[in-house]
Amino acid sequence: MIKVRIPTPLRPLTKGQGEVETKAGSVVEMIEALNSTHPGIKDRLCDETGELRRFVNIYVNEEDIRFLKGKDTSLKDGDEVSIVPAIAGG
Amino acid sequence: MADLVIPRHILDDIVTHANELTPYECCGLLAGNDGIVSRLYRIKNIVAMEGAQNLSSFDSAKAAHLERLSPAERAEIAFVMDMQDFSTAKKDMRNSGLDLQVVYHSHPHDPARPSVTDIKIATDYEEIWPKINLPLPAYLLVSLMNTEPDIKTYWIKSGRVTPVDVLIR
Repeated sequence: MIKVRIPTPLRPLTKGQGEVETKAGSVVEMIEALNSTHPGIKDRLCDETGELRRFVNIYVNEEDIRFLKGKDTSLKDGDEVSIVPAIAGG
Repeated sequence: MADLVIPRHILDDIVTHANELTPYECCGLLAGNDGIVSRLYRIKNIVAMEGAQNLSSFDSAKAAHLERLSPAERAEIAFVMDMQDFSTAKKDMRNSGLDLQVVYHSHPHDPARPSVTDIKIATDYEEIWPKINLPLPAYLLVSLMNTEPDIKTYWIKSGRVTPVDVLIR
């Protein structure tokens, strides 16, 4: 199983859960799997072409997927994924 | 011993960045070693991008307020960092052996102190920094509301704001 950390702004889609578990062999599969159990999450993470939106980052075991293989980054059992919202303020 | 040492030319660069973007907010990062800042990274403010207000930790009231404004108006009262720029800056820091020291942004119309939104998001982010392998940064604000720019730096920890002792040289 893959452990996925859900940031506060997305928790309304996971019934308030800060961490969910899923099965996936890559980041793109993880997003699809999350979207089937928590509909709407894919839209929040990816644009209409399927690319990661610029106001979100995904880290696999503390490494930015933009430095790995992007959404094709592979995942294995026990990996920890963090969805990180943009740094922001007012 | 000051908490942070920031060279004068980097403070000048922050003011230049803020002035270039006013009336919109600018944002960026300062990196260095052991509290001594040596590099500035400008990061694009993408708050005007469609959907940015939905995934950037704004509370529902602030997100609803931003929703009612035009994209340009949003950028006058908020910032959302372009995480692609952020990743590039983070990579450069790592390759250069630098650590993140400061997150900065401007307040074109307001004083140089963290807003309620700034405090809320910085507090939410406290648990994120270790997950992305970065130390807890200080927060620097530059206000352009008066003729002379005003710069102040703070720690924001568990919702509490305390001033940072900064040495400028």
